[in-house]
Amino acid sequence: MITFIIRRLLATVILLIIVSALTFAIFFLLPRLAGETPYDLAARYVGRNPIPSQIRAMETRLGLSAPVPVQFGRFLKAIVAGETYTNGTSKVYCPAPCLGYSWRNEQPVWPLLVSNIPVTASLAIGAAVIWLIGGVAIGVVSALKRGSLFDRVSMSTALAGVSLPIFFTGQIALLLFSYHWQIFNVTYVGITQNPLEWAKNLILPWIVLAFLYSALYARLTRAGMLETMNEDYIRTARAKGLPERTVIFKHGLRAALTPILTIFGMDLGLLFGGAILTELTFSLHGLGLFTIEAIDNSDLPEIMGVVLLASFFIIIANMVVDILYAVIDPRVRL
Amino acid sequence: MNRRKSLGLVALGATAALAVAACGSSPSTAKTTSAFDEAITKVVNPSNAKTNGTLVFDAAVTPDSTDYDNTYYAFMWDFVRLYSMPLMTYKSCPGTCGEQLVPDLATGPGVVSDNGLEWTYHIQPDVKFQNGVTVTSEDVKYGIERTFAKNILPNGPTYYQVLLAPQNATCAASMASGGNTGCYPGPYVDPSVNEMGLNAITTPNSTTIVFHLAHPFSDFNYVVAIPQSTPVLPSWDTGAHGGANFQLDPISTGPYEFQSYTLNKQLVLVRNPNWNPATDPQAKQLVNKIIVNWNMNQNTVDQDQIAGYADMDIQGLGVQTAAKDKILTTPSLKADADDAINGFLRFAYINEQVIPNVHCREAIEYAANKVTLQDAYGGSIIGGQIATTVMPPNILGYKSFDLYNAVSDPTGDIAAAKQQLSLCGKPNGFTTGLAYRSDRPQDVLAAQALEAALNQVGIKTVLSGYPTGTYYSNYAGVPAYVHSHDLGISMGGWGADWPDGYGFLDELSNGNSIAPAGNTNISEINDPTINSLFAEAANDNNAASRLAIWPQIDKDIMAQAAILPIVYQKVLLYRNPNVTNVYMDDYYGMYNYAVLGLK
Repeated sequence: MITFIIRRLLATVILLIIVSALTFAIFFLLPRLAGETPYDLAARYVGRNPIPSQIRAMETRLGLSAPVPVQFGRFLKAIVAGETYTNGTSKVYCPAPCLGYSWRNEQPVWPLLVSNIPVTASLAIGAAVIWLIGGVAIGVVSALKRGSLFDRVSMSTALAGVSLPIFFTGQIALLLFSYHWQIFNVTYVGITQNPLEWAKNLILPWIVLAFLYSALYARLTRAGMLETMNEDYIRTARAKGLPERTVIFKHGLRAALTPILTIFGMDLGLLFGGAILTELTFSLHGLGLFTIEAIDNSDLPEIMGVVLLASFFIIIANMVVDILYAVIDPRVRL
Repeated sequence: MNRRKSLGLVALGATAALAVAACGSSPSTAKTTSAFDEAITKVVNPSNAKTNGTLVFDAAVTPDSTDYDNTYYAFMWDFVRLYSMPLMTYKSCPGTCGEQLVPDLATGPGVVSDNGLEWTYHIQPDVKFQNGVTVTSEDVKYGIERTFAKNILPNGPTYYQVLLAPQNATCAASMASGGNTGCYPGPYVDPSVNEMGLNAITTPNSTTIVFHLAHPFSDFNYVVAIPQSTPVLPSWDTGAHGGANFQLDPISTGPYEFQSYTLNKQLVLVRNPNWNPATDPQAKQLVNKIIVNWNMNQNTVDQDQIAGYADMDIQGLGVQTAAKDKILTTPSLKADADDAINGFLRFAYINEQVIPNVHCREAIEYAANKVTLQDAYGGSIIGGQIATTVMPPNILGYKSFDLYNAVSDPTGDIAAAKQQLSLCGKPNGFTTGLAYRSDRPQDVLAAQALEAALNQVGIKTVLSGYPTGTYYSNYAGVPAYVHSHDLGISMGGWGADWPDGYGFLDELSNGNSIAPAGNTNISEINDPTINSLFAEAANDNNAASRLAIWPQIDKDIMAQAAILPIVYQKVLLYRNPNVTNVYMDDYYGMYNYAVLGLK
């Protein structure tokens, strides 16, 4: 098992380097190949009607004149060994993992990223709990009561949930609960600051996000359960005279949950990288909004940082799922 | 079948929800007594009452910087008045009254020497920073010196770098070729902060500051009304809290000071205890706290205002379509809104090198359908009013005229266009390129509308879309590229740094402004009459006679058909009825943030 984990961790590092090299190439190499000079690139990071010396000052400060591989080398070196920047009046040491210095905000990227994680994590975890419990429960009941009114209503609702985009359901939820009835006010309050307010203010985004996912999970669970409950071993279990509850939960659900676990790991990892639409709809300042801001501002170090962090979360979530799999099924370790 | 029924129910539910939401009332806002458009010309809810309330701004964007020396956003120039005192400022009063320059930190307008090269200002002796230290002329000089550190503070305007006398002969020679060798590098590189410093500014005593210019510049009072002339205490701009980090807590001389600032998320201002209203009559300190929530969803910003969760949208660009419809169809909301011209012009450059014959250019002016173009920018309420001149009506020196029947024949004067084409020697029309910013939906629609209109008289356009980020630096703003790609028409937008003809017209039409890249005189107007009028204005220190020059330039540009004005941009602004002292400030093109209070 330990060799397996070490192997996966090494693969993770290599994957992250590949992802960062690709991202770096997209933002730093492609413009050069398209004929853009370092001066042109620097011209995007100065104010209106700039004078040439102003653009050249930025070109020097951002280190854009160096060949792209050298710039990438600097980027990797900063992640491993840290880097020192100047803010004009003092040296700012950016310790490893230093993901660079924001070109627009003039701050080290890492603390900016980290400050956004609590919001995104709160959103993702809360929604995940709701959709996992809700989605799986609805899926199980629908499968067991196949063809019933409950099955039909819940599966139709699920179809709507999967089809309706968050910026639509989110806006409707906001209009009704926040502006019309004024029940929920969506402003992030830290969990350590006031746990009650934290939960109350996040309920709306949780439900909207969970609506989309629980719909998906309900349909997946239902399909999985239907398939499993038709397996021969279920018939055997019933023939043995096991109580129906044991048959459903111990033999049926357990088997049906395995693929759900994989998807759950991926989804959660993806959400940790920033629930962009949900955060934008509810104006929650997490990694998703940070990403939009970084792209709007063409802030390349911030974009690099957010891509790497999101990849990291997805890879780690995948690794955790793989490890759990390996625990359940020893063949995976081979 | 069953599934279909259920889906129908869901759809019905969603529609009902929308309908309920659309009819939603706004219980948290007080009953209003104002009228639609009232704040364009009058102060709504005038009051000097101090409250313990909190004024809340929402923003769908983030600022370029909260450092007054490092910002070029119009709304930030308005907002920083709450924590800064530049030498000069604009009078706090509604409409065009707000375009008058008045002294702020200075005791009066600058006194210019006979040769027009020296501008002297005296500052009030008893203005204090937020920490109680008295402001001196050296602090004003230091603030301006910071703006020379363009590698650390890259966003602000460059008027001082261009207008002030070069630091030495090496610098002068270098500047002539676009360099800055030997020029003053800003206080972070110069080891002798405030000892040698920038030698084009001298401070004979603690209340006098003298600017030495390279050439006469009669509009210099406008330059020092930009927030960059705000005093900065050098000891505040040091260590981890200085330089680029100064934005997190810039020292205040205005009615408020920073309590906390979580970068790009939330800014909280509280009262500055060392601010004296007697020394700063253009600003007020009426509320206890001011909060700005940055980087919100624009829909949330609009809804927050209507629901009373927020008092104002700081960006000042007005509400979006959904909120617009709700406001215009709900009388109680409409009474709290203003549909105002904000001083920004949407237009198309017509390049005089690519289309050298004036009659061919005039054909474009006549043929353009101003109504479809206006629709492209959002219509008459949030798009703008059909424009006939280069200068919008709220710019000092504006005179109304309509050379191409844009108002009398807004859908285009086809007969006149065809007549001009005949005079041009191309009765069947011609083909030219049309540049626009492909990532700006309104620009795309306008380019298509123009294409369709010109097509009617035989002028074929080849549409070329470019990214906004490099539109001026690599494409439309590079004359060599414009010529080689036959870009006869380029879509554009323009707002002035100060509200007179120089601020609005110089960059667009002065022959000196034509630059090899980042060019803003894209029409390449290089007319001896216009150039000499600009030169005359720069040397004329008489405001009244200067004011007579601007409409002449405007008319000359239009007579050459070098610019096709489309709309004077309009914005639909909503004001929370709880907010006091609300009015449109014509200089900023939005409400004046320096004087707001709460009921």
